[in-house]
Formats: sequence, structure tokens, C-alpha cells
Amino acid sequence: PFCSSLTGIMLLEVFLVLGAVIIYFLLYKKKEETLPFKEGWWGKGQKPDTEEDTTIWPFKVETTEEELSDLFRRLDQARFTEPLENSCFHYGTNSVYLRKVVSYWKNQFNWKKQVEVLNKYPQFKTKIQGIDIHFVHVKPPRLPEGQSAKPLLMVHGWPGSFYEFYKIIPLLTDPASHGLSDEHIFEVICPSIPGYGFSEAPHKKDFNSVSAASIFYELMLRLGFNKFYAQGGDWGWLICTNLAQIAPNHMKGLHLNLASVTNMGFIHLLSILLGRYLPGLFGFQDEDVRRMFPFLEKGLYRILLESGYAHIQATKPDTVGCALNDSPVGLAAYILEKFSTWTDLEFHNLEDGGLERKFNLDDLLTNIMIYWVSGCIVSSMRFYKENLQKGIGTQKHERLTVQVPTGIASFPNEVMHTPRAWAQKKYTNIVSFHFMPRGGHFAALEEPELLAEDILQFVGKVEKEQLWRKT
Amino acid sequence: QTILCPPRSFDYSQKNAVLVPAAALGVGGVLVYWLTSRHKIKTIEMGDGWWGSGERPLKGKEDESIRPFKIETSDKEIEDLHRRLEQARYTPPLEGAAFHYGFNSSYLQKVVAYWRNQFDWRKQVEVLNKYPHFRTTIEGIDIHFIHVKPSYVPHGRAVQPLLMVHGWPGSFYEFYKIIPLLTEPARHSLNEGDVVFEVICPSIPGYGFSEAPHQKGFDSIATARIFHKLMNRLGFKEYYLQGGDWGSHITTNMAQMLPQSVKGLHLNVVFDNKRGLRRMISVMLGAYVPWLVGFTREDVRRMYPFIQKNIYELLRESGYLHIQATKPDTAGCGLNDSPVGLAAYILEKFSTWTDKSFLHKDDGGLESKYSLDELLTNVMIYWVTSSIVSSMRFYKENISKGSLTADARVGVYVPTGIAAFPQELAHTPRTWAKEIFKNLITYSYMPRGGHFAAFEEPKLLAEDIMHFVRKVEQL
Repeated sequence: PFCSSLTGIMLLEVFLVLGAVIIYFLLYKKKEETLPFKEGWWGKGQKPDTEEDTTIWPFKVETTEEELSDLFRRLDQARFTEPLENSCFHYGTNSVYLRKVVSYWKNQFNWKKQVEVLNKYPQFKTKIQGIDIHFVHVKPPRLPEGQSAKPLLMVHGWPGSFYEFYKIIPLLTDPASHGLSDEHIFEVICPSIPGYGFSEAPHKKDFNSVSAASIFYELMLRLGFNKFYAQGGDWGWLICTNLAQIAPNHMKGLHLNLASVTNMGFIHLLSILLGRYLPGLFGFQDEDVRRMFPFLEKGLYRILLESGYAHIQATKPDTVGCALNDSPVGLAAYILEKFSTWTDLEFHNLEDGGLERKFNLDDLLTNIMIYWVSGCIVSSMRFYKENLQKGIGTQKHERLTVQVPTGIASFPNEVMHTPRAWAQKKYTNIVSFHFMPRGGHFAALEEPELLAEDILQFVGKVEKEQLWRKT
Repeated sequence: QTILCPPRSFDYSQKNAVLVPAAALGVGGVLVYWLTSRHKIKTIEMGDGWWGSGERPLKGKEDESIRPFKIETSDKEIEDLHRRLEQARYTPPLEGAAFHYGFNSSYLQKVVAYWRNQFDWRKQVEVLNKYPHFRTTIEGIDIHFIHVKPSYVPHGRAVQPLLMVHGWPGSFYEFYKIIPLLTEPARHSLNEGDVVFEVICPSIPGYGFSEAPHQKGFDSIATARIFHKLMNRLGFKEYYLQGGDWGSHITTNMAQMLPQSVKGLHLNVVFDNKRGLRRMISVMLGAYVPWLVGFTREDVRRMYPFIQKNIYELLRESGYLHIQATKPDTAGCGLNDSPVGLAAYILEKFSTWTDKSFLHKDDGGLESKYSLDELLTNVMIYWVTSSIVSSMRFYKENISKGSLTADARVGVYVPTGIAAFPQELAHTPRTWAKEIFKNLITYSYMPRGGHFAAFEEPKLLAEDIMHFVRKVEQL
């Protein structure tokens, strides 16, 4: 009798321990839960009782004489402030160079022609959660026998737009004509984030990246896509990441040209302090060390120097955007500064900000015109407040991981470098991670071939092993 | 024993002959050093500068004439303004946003309607010209200032010169209501007026009608030096200083630069960048045992909850500071081209920095404390002089060097008076202020008022200035 009770107690103990271990793992696995789809209604006033209209109608960008003459009048009356002697772009956009841009804008830039350029790809609108969502939808011109086009959602950021993808789209829908392998061909969908460009701006507060991801999820479903790829940088990175967290079963793969880590912990701090001396210990490669250190200069100081816009947009978007919606020259100065510094930080030592080394004025001004004619600068800035106002690293989705197969293209001139060792704590299924040889923040516009090649090789890996089935 | 006796006494006296004077010298030396070092006040280097365009001319003395100045306007200027106001493009605010996303554009449209239809700039220019204005060239740039003397000085009373320095986004105009209280206190039923001032309000270079520096590096220390030169040129050897916002920094630097010229320093805001373990501990303890770390009950009321007020709220309100300290030319570009944008940007501060609860109001509470005429006059000063960009550069020149904290190490030894207003962005308790201001004569908890003290509560501020100066004069 004594023996059996002892055995009984021991068995009980074993079961208790096992039970605790199982419970712990169940709870631990909770980190891999999905992000819930965010319901919302962003239209004006009360949500109507009627069913939402789900039609998709074609859209064309238009302009009028009035719009053009109003723009020219404002360009003519622009008031500039002389820069300090020898200040280049250290104090922001140099107004001497800005005058040249404005002169080109008035005399050579042809908005009517650019509108035709914008309209060369089919555009549509559809109402989702109460607001009109604009998107470009480009199908491949030809498909080899037996192949089907893979749907690819590409999401822009700030201060960009769907127009950033106009150079890379043909490389993805018609790779063969551009000297790339046609093993994988895509149909590309580039929406405008609500509040940007031709997508209606939300009328209610609290429209954040999860809201945008939910809307784009509905968009892809409405277009009939059950499985798709997603690509993004800047806000597009976050929205596509959230989409992968909301609908992992629909996303075959996630490709990013920016992979920030917002959930920093003790390990990150330690790796910053010691990573230069013990790179191997923290999983840093030589290129990581080259890009990240000295950390004070390349990390902290650089972030402080370049994040003033994010600070003010995350706190007072309606104030800072007000003048920019009223002065096209002010808008251009504000946006062009980013296209300079985020393409190459060294450009701030140049009197012309190095802008025309990597971009042409027509492309830069077309992007700016999208903000101008749609009057969306304020709503585009509100996105910062909706996402950042509670602080970085505090939102639920920032603590969740991503299990969807992920490919990361790490461009050297990105403002801050994220090493693979940090990225893989969040993106647990990194299939490819490449250090790109050149290029900055606006990768799709600046280095479309490099980015397209990386997307293609990533998709190749995912498709070959049908990796999406394993998640 | 007897054999040793004579040599010992001989050695002893010899030693005394050397040791005693040496010791006396040593002690005396230490005493002298200690006495002199106690009175050896550290000062900031005055230095020199040139801010005009191009190279500094080698030959020729600078023109030191003081020229009378009048503000002018023209039909062209007013028509251009009206055209821009009429063509303004607004973005409707989010539902229920009040002032939480910045300046509410629905209210902004009302302000602009007033600006276009009722505001009379010509009349306001006359208001501005009611005090005598002057300009003089210092270090290569034209410095603008107003100089108001009392019209009537009671027999036997000394007139104290008082330099008052504005900040951002303010101007010399902020002092227009307080000036008469200081130059003619009796007429405004202030305390018997045994203290009477002549007031000098300059415009910081790059602000209003003072020429903007053409060279990089123009910071608060350069401004302090220029204002000393100005007072010197006006014939003053000793004077009082008063300031808030940038004015607080500049006047503090002036007191550190030439303490012998500064009779007294009065501030309505104190910037305190001291961090460190001791501070952190006193903040943590202060919540529970304030008396132990020298906090009064009022200090506690104003400072806590600490994280909320001093970190969260400061972060929420410092976006403008961050962008202006890094990209002033970008931030100011659109503001110099759109008067509506400029008004939104500047008036947002007049709302939130006057009372933090104004954030919840659809109209930002602006007209509860100010009139649209005076708010718009201040905005017009930035508009007609196109000085918004140069005014923002001041942030970059001061902050990027970290020179904001330099003065803390040097300390301030001139008699100082602090008026602590309850709605100021951050509260500095007396114990902390005393670490920098070694000669703190008065520290007053003001009953009401925010950042723009001279503009909002001129009487309260004037009374505190006079109370302070009276005490200094009695010393």
C-alpha cells in the first residue's frame, strides 16, 4: 500500500511537470498568433445601413487648365529665403537649387504629358470600409504556355506613391523583354494607401497600418486572389508585414526592401555595445559591421538628424501639412529633401543635393504633383500620428512575429541598417537576405533592376520548394 | 644628556627660523587663494563675429550710427497677402480631432476670414510705430530695436534701463502691453512706481526687422554679445535684463558674459538640462518626500506625474523643435510662401503653450486669452519680413552644438529673479534653479499664465519684475 501511494505521488508529479511544460509551450506558441483583421468604417459621418457597394470601376487621372494655371500662379509668386553661405543641404533643401527646380517645373515640366504617362497603366477604384481605394492593376502582356501570372501586391510609402513602381512594373510583368528570366511572371497591383494620392483619406481617427493592411487584404480578395505575394518599403514594409500577420494563409511570400526592428530589447543594446568587437557572437556579418558602426554616428546621431519630420508629423500633422498644401514650392522642398538624403546621406554635402544623379526631375515632380493635385499631404502625414503616437515598440503587432516566407533586400544607403540577426527575431522564416550593391530608400524608383532581380530570385526559391505550404 | 643639550636648542631655533615663516607663507598663500577664488566668477568668453554677406571688410570702421526706423507697408504688399489668403487650400480635420492633430483647419478658415476682411494691417502698422524704432549695424548686420523712455519721471527717481528679449515664435511686439506698465507704472495703478524703467526691446537677428545673419554659426552667445554692444552703444554701462523662451537663454548668456554690466536678470522661464543620477533620484523621491529634496507643494503639483508631464507631453510638443534644429530651411520654406500655413504653425503655439487644456477645444482657446488683431500682428511681422526660415535656423545653430548645456557649467552670479508661470511647458523648482543661478533673489509662483507671459499676463509679469528690481536696488 505504501509503495503504490508513493508511485502514485511520483506519477502525479510527472504528470504535473509534463502538464506545466505543455501549458508553457502552448502559451509560448501564443507569440505566433495571427493579428486580427481590423474592422473599420472610415467614411464621412455615420455608417449607412445599406450594404457596401463592391463594384470596381476604372479610373483615369485627369487635369484641367484651371489646375495648371493655379499651379503656375503659385510657382510665380513663390517667396524664397537665401541659404546661408556654404550651407549646401545641411540646413535642409537649398533654396538656390530649389529655384532651378521651380524654373524647370514652370517652363519644361509638362503635367499633361505626365498624366498620360500615369494613365498608361490601367487604374481602378473601389469602395472598401467606406472609402474609395485607388490602385493600379497591370497584367502581363503575354504569358508562355501553361504559365499563370502570380499576383503581386506592391505598397508604397511616404513621401512616395504608386508612381514609384512605374519603372519596375514592366520588369515584373514582362521580364523576358527586359533581359530577365521569365520563369515567374507577375500581375502587379499597386494601391494607394488611404490618405495618399488618389485613394480617399479616412474621415475618422485611428487609421493605422493594420487598418491599411486589412483594407488591402479585402482588396486582394475582391480581385479574386486567394494566394498572392506582397512587396514593400517604408510604410509599405509595415503594411505588408501586418498583412502577413493578418492573413498568413493567403500570402505565399513577403518581400521587403526595408526591415526595421521596432521591438528592441536588452540583446539589441548589448549587440550595439559589443557587436563591433564580437560580431560573431551576435550573428553580425562583416557587411553588417561596416554599415552599422560606429553606432553613435551611423545609428543614433543619424536617426536624430533625420527624424525631425517624423516627430512633427507624428504629433502635429495638420499644422505642418497646412502650408505644404497651399505652397507647391514648400511641398516640393519638403519632399525633395527626402529623395536627396534618403538616397545617399552624403548628398547633403552637395549644393544640389545630388538629386539628379539618381532621378530625373520629371519623375520627382510627377510624384510631387500627385500629392499636390490630390491635396493629400496632410492626410499622408496623419498616418504617422496614427501609427506612432503611442510610441515606437508599444503596439501589439510589433510584438508578433511573421512566419510567412520572407525575402529581404538590404540596400546600403538606407538610413539605418538592420542586420539579419535582428530581422530574423521578427521574420522567423527568412528565405533570402541579400546585401544589395548600391541604392537607397526609394529602391523601386532608383534601382528597379536590382530590386526586380531580388524579388524574382526570392519568388523562385519560394515556388521551387512550395514553401508557403509549410507554414 | 647634558652633552646633547646645547646642540638641540641650537637646531630647534634654526628650524623655527625656517619652518615658521614657511608655514606662515603657506597658510597665508592658501588663505589668499581661497579668498580670491571665492570672488573669481567664471564668465563666458565674449569672442567676436561677422555676420554680413561675403568677407568681412578689412579696412574701415563699422558704421555705428543709430538710425530711426519706421515700419511701412504698401498696397502691393496687402494685395499680395489678400490674394494668398483667398487662394488658400484647406484639408478638413478628422471628426472629433479638436487641436489634437495640430491647428484645426475649420477654425483656421474663420481666422483667415477675419484676416482677409476685418484685420487692418495699415492700422496695426500705426500701432507698431507708436513706440520709437531704430536700427544700427553691429557685426555686419542691422539690428532693430524699440527704445521707450518714460514720458514723465518723478523727481529724484532713477530710471532703470531694461533690455527685454523675445523668443520664438514671438517678437518685440509681445512687449507692447507691458512696456507702459514699466515706463509709467503710476499711471497704470501699479505699486507707487518707485521703480521706473526705460525699455529696450531688440529683435533677435533673423527675426522681424533685424537683418538675418548670412553666415553659419549665429547662436545665443553671438546674440548676447551683440546685445551687450547695443546697450553699450546706447550709452548704458549697467542694466537690467528680462527674457523668456530664447530671450531667457540670451539674457542668461549676457549675464554670464559681462556680469559687471548686469544689475539684475529676470526670467519667466528657466531651461534646465541637467541630467544625472542625482536629478533622477530627486525626481523619484520628490513624488513621495518632496521636502527631502527641496520641492514645495506647488513644485509637486506642477511637476508630477513626472513621466506624463515632462516626458510624454514634452515629446508631444517638441516636434517643431526637432525639425527646426535639423532642417530649418525645409521646414520654413512652405511657411514663407503660404501666410495661412504660417499662421497655423505659429498660432498653434499660442494655443498650446498658453494652456495645455486648449488642445481639447475646437478653436484652440485662442480668443479666450488674446485678440485676433494682436495674434495676427505678430504673424504679420514674420510674414512681411520673410523671417520664418532665419528664425528657425536659430534652433539649429544653438542645439546642434549642444551649447544649450554649456551655460549650466558656468553658472550665473548676477542677482536673478524667476517668475514661474503655471502653464509653462516645463517647471523648474527653486532648488534646481539655484544650482545654476547662484544669486537667486526672488522666485515667484505666478497664479496664472503660460509661456507668452508678457503677452498674456503683462500686469502680473510687470509686478514681479518691479518686485525683483526693488529688492536688488535695496541690496
